[in-house]
Amino acid sequence: MSLSEPAAAPAPPAAADDIVDKLVAGDASALAKCITLMETGGPAADAVHRRVCARVGRAAVIGFTGAPGAGKSTLIDAYIAALRARGQSVAVAAVDPTSPLSGGAILGDRVRMRRHAEDDGVFIRSIASRGHLGGLSESIHRVIDVMDAAGRDFVIAETVGTGQSEIEVAEIADVSVVVNAPNMGDDIQALKAGVLEIADVLVVNKADLPLSRRTTEQLKTMLKLRQDRQDVAVVETAATKGTGIDALCAAVDAVLATRAGDKRKNREQRMRRLIAQAAGRAIDDAIRRAGGAEIEALVRKAASGELGIAEAAERALSLTPTGTVLEPKRPARKM
Amino acid sequence: MTGQLSPPARVLITKIGLDGHDRGSRIVAAFLRDAGMEVIYTPPWQSIPAVVKLAMEEDVDVIGVSSLATDHLIVPKLMAALREAGFGHIGLVVGGIVPEDERPALIESGVSAIFGPGSARDHIIDHVATLAAEVRAVKDAALREIAQ
Amino acid sequence: MSKEAVQLALPGFEQAQGRWRAEYNGQIGTDRVVRNRSRIEIRPLYTPRDWSGEAFLDGLGFPGQYPFTRGIYPTMHRGRTWTQRQLIGLGTPEDYNTRVRILLDAGATAISLLPCNSGFRGVDCDEVDPVLLGTCGTVINTADHMDRALDGVPLGSISTAMNDPSPFTLLAFLLAVAKRRGIPWTAITGTSNQSDYLSHFIANHMFYRLSLPGARRVLLDHVEFCRRHVPGWNPVSVVGQHMQQAGATPVETMAFTLSTALQYAQDCIDRGMDIDVVLRRFTFFFDISISFFEEVAKFRAGRRIWARLARERLGAKDPASWRFKFHGQTSGVDLTEQQPLNNIARVAVQAMAGIMSGLQSLHTDAYDEAITTPTEETARIAVATQNILREEAHLCDVIDPLGGSYYVETLTDQMEAEIEALIGKIDAAGGMYKAAEAGLVQSMIGESALAFQDRIETGEEKVVGVNCYQDDNGAFRARPTERPDPPRMSEHVARFKVYKAERSQAGVRRALDALKRAANSERDNVYERIVEAAEAGVTHGEIVSLLRQELGFGHPLVVV
Repeated sequence: MSLSEPAAAPAPPAAADDIVDKLVAGDASALAKCITLMETGGPAADAVHRRVCARVGRAAVIGFTGAPGAGKSTLIDAYIAALRARGQSVAVAAVDPTSPLSGGAILGDRVRMRRHAEDDGVFIRSIASRGHLGGLSESIHRVIDVMDAAGRDFVIAETVGTGQSEIEVAEIADVSVVVNAPNMGDDIQALKAGVLEIADVLVVNKADLPLSRRTTEQLKTMLKLRQDRQDVAVVETAATKGTGIDALCAAVDAVLATRAGDKRKNREQRMRRLIAQAAGRAIDDAIRRAGGAEIEALVRKAASGELGIAEAAERALSLTPTGTVLEPKRPARKM
Repeated sequence: MTGQLSPPARVLITKIGLDGHDRGSRIVAAFLRDAGMEVIYTPPWQSIPAVVKLAMEEDVDVIGVSSLATDHLIVPKLMAALREAGFGHIGLVVGGIVPEDERPALIESGVSAIFGPGSARDHIIDHVATLAAEVRAVKDAALREIAQ
Repeated sequence: MSKEAVQLALPGFEQAQGRWRAEYNGQIGTDRVVRNRSRIEIRPLYTPRDWSGEAFLDGLGFPGQYPFTRGIYPTMHRGRTWTQRQLIGLGTPEDYNTRVRILLDAGATAISLLPCNSGFRGVDCDEVDPVLLGTCGTVINTADHMDRALDGVPLGSISTAMNDPSPFTLLAFLLAVAKRRGIPWTAITGTSNQSDYLSHFIANHMFYRLSLPGARRVLLDHVEFCRRHVPGWNPVSVVGQHMQQAGATPVETMAFTLSTALQYAQDCIDRGMDIDVVLRRFTFFFDISISFFEEVAKFRAGRRIWARLARERLGAKDPASWRFKFHGQTSGVDLTEQQPLNNIARVAVQAMAGIMSGLQSLHTDAYDEAITTPTEETARIAVATQNILREEAHLCDVIDPLGGSYYVETLTDQMEAEIEALIGKIDAAGGMYKAAEAGLVQSMIGESALAFQDRIETGEEKVVGVNCYQDDNGAFRARPTERPDPPRMSEHVARFKVYKAERSQAGVRRALDALKRAANSERDNVYERIVEAAEAGVTHGEIVSLLRQELGFGHPLVVV
């Protein structure tokens, strides 16, 4: 049996309407299937997503990042409980990294959300990054759209804070929450460049530990030095005990209130970046792989010093053939 | 080894019933990942409704139930619940200790294979991969069927 | 203690050794590197150059003398044989009672009680699918059930091991029964076999009920309660079994177990308890694998290290506090489903290793333990195995018979060094509690488990009947599996429901309120209220769920 073909024959428009109708009506099974479709990609996925775009914008999208060990999943579990207590429905996209060696993944974030295992008001989907380097997955924005269109009040995206994931999350989310654990050392090593720029709410989890106070103070001090980050809330929580969750809810709600009008702007910003990325991939591929006599000549001239890099690049841009923008490469797999 | 699905096979590894020993299921999860599959891993003591909900949300292809003690006795109940919810096409395998005389009942309820403690890793991987491919084919056909 | 071999004057030694080596190399063909489960290299021959008796008094000494390498008592098994303590648990309290009476009639002086899986989950029998009840342990949810289970058992003269994790309701039920029968608690002896919550958090999630801080609190209260009211009881049993069963190597198992013991001892000291009093009632519980010599070395090394830790690090003054008392159980993980009768041989070898290591009590697995709860017949064979080793192989006649073996002493020294290094690592991580919380221990064990599994897959590690000497023609036909009698079990559940309806609701309410208050107060002893609740007719499930609510539900850290 040959199993290496891409999955799913394209579904013609009638089927797309059908499944989107079910999705919008709140059918969880349809939501699951749509998510799979978004992850798979292809013309059927495009057809469904086009229809879904008309229905997005209602959900509050909250992004959670944090280093491993910060207690992010446990915190989200408690946050979901608070949302459910006030009658709101939730969808969670929990992203874990795909192994670059095998192409497989262990998706274990659900493990910490067992309180909601039988609650239909909480939809949890585990997503593998599938080679995407940002920390989320390539298709995550479409997955979020589909969860939004399904009528969920809150959509939570969760990912480990590595690489560029905080920035990616900030782009898809209405509110970015960065979760920190109190540090064992004296400085906040975990606070990477960029986090202060994009975090809307900073959480210091494990507030029951003695060092949490110091971490909170350090964060507040750093924020004070930034003119543009005065509104960032610092919240102390002890997720396992359930303390600080109300404060977290209040902080998130406050940000949502100020962002009410901004959804379109964020979306367009994200689209811009995705288009640039896709275009960049096409150019990268054309210059590095496709070659062609003219590109080869440029390369030789640059190597001999006849042409500077910048000049060579400019010429390459005008030479790059227009054509299909390529899908990102899948990770290499062990056979 | 069979080729790999694209997107990767999604396999749920879980335990129902009362037993809590999960060394075996963690090892199986690890080598299914190494074989290129996406493994949704849950801790033990999942209720049957929770597993059905999970299978639906995660759009899994295969469910692997790890069973020691007598937890296999309620696997037929899980199979029935899955069928009732419209997920009878999902493949299901059982790993662990199942006494000889109680295996027929499981197979009859729709369990695809029972892997005892000595099962070779490649054997498990091959079977799960093949099963996942079959389930995918059914899912794809269902998608096409909607169109007709 | 000197770790280097002393250069004895042995005229002609080098020559003879050289000759042997040459002949060995000539005949061996391709020699391969052999490693034991702890990955220590095992050479073909050991000599006085590896270990000699020069360091006898420092390193070994005599049994009953620091550092106790040869045994914790002067007489060891020659004076008093190891305690035969077979684990039983199945079905209803009446089923348990029938089995335990057979054992006692056969001369047992110690019993062990294994509760049903539903009990481990912290629920009562009316909360689970009935088909799952009583298949791996006995269903005991109230003091009444305990009374029926121990009917005719002389509580004042036999020792009981309760395989019950925090919050130790089974002991509470036992104490309630003792009171009813007019037996003073000071006469009750036994052990809280599964009091090691860290080992559960790390490696046996099935036994893990309360949150880490909650379990820590309950254990300390339990220790204090027993010290005051049940002085003959061992409230602390530090368990290496689960970690080894989860895949930790013997070195890792001993290191992590000793680190855990250090953690608990320190917690007691921090509470203001007298370390000598505390340590005298510390016991250990280990698995015995079939890696024969490695197990012997593991236990001897552990005994020596613990003596040093107790005396030098914890500051205990009484030699009785330096003694490493342990119960050994033959490892079920080495048993196979294929060709089960082979397991009788395996268990015999494991038991020998345990006996020759100087354990204090022993449980031998039945040969079908991998498949099901033992039947009467298979349980009998397990006991006969111990009797044969004692009466026919005369394993009791000599104390520490493997002592002085060049191999065993070298291996003991090597394992000791590795164990100490690993204890150092746990120290660097802030102690066992922190290391477990951070998942450090779990990762190490997981890696060892995977590595071992790999070696079985490749055939490097051989398992008879599984990856070699398989029996293709007709697998062993297992008898139909024995299960609790369904009508009897449903009758038990029905009776339990009636009991709940008919007991004094006011008394139950009062007891639960007192328990709740105690859980929320630093100064009250939670365990005292648990025992009172047991006496008031509160059920196991009610006690556990209240404590989970007040002290935190135990969610183990899952590391894949």
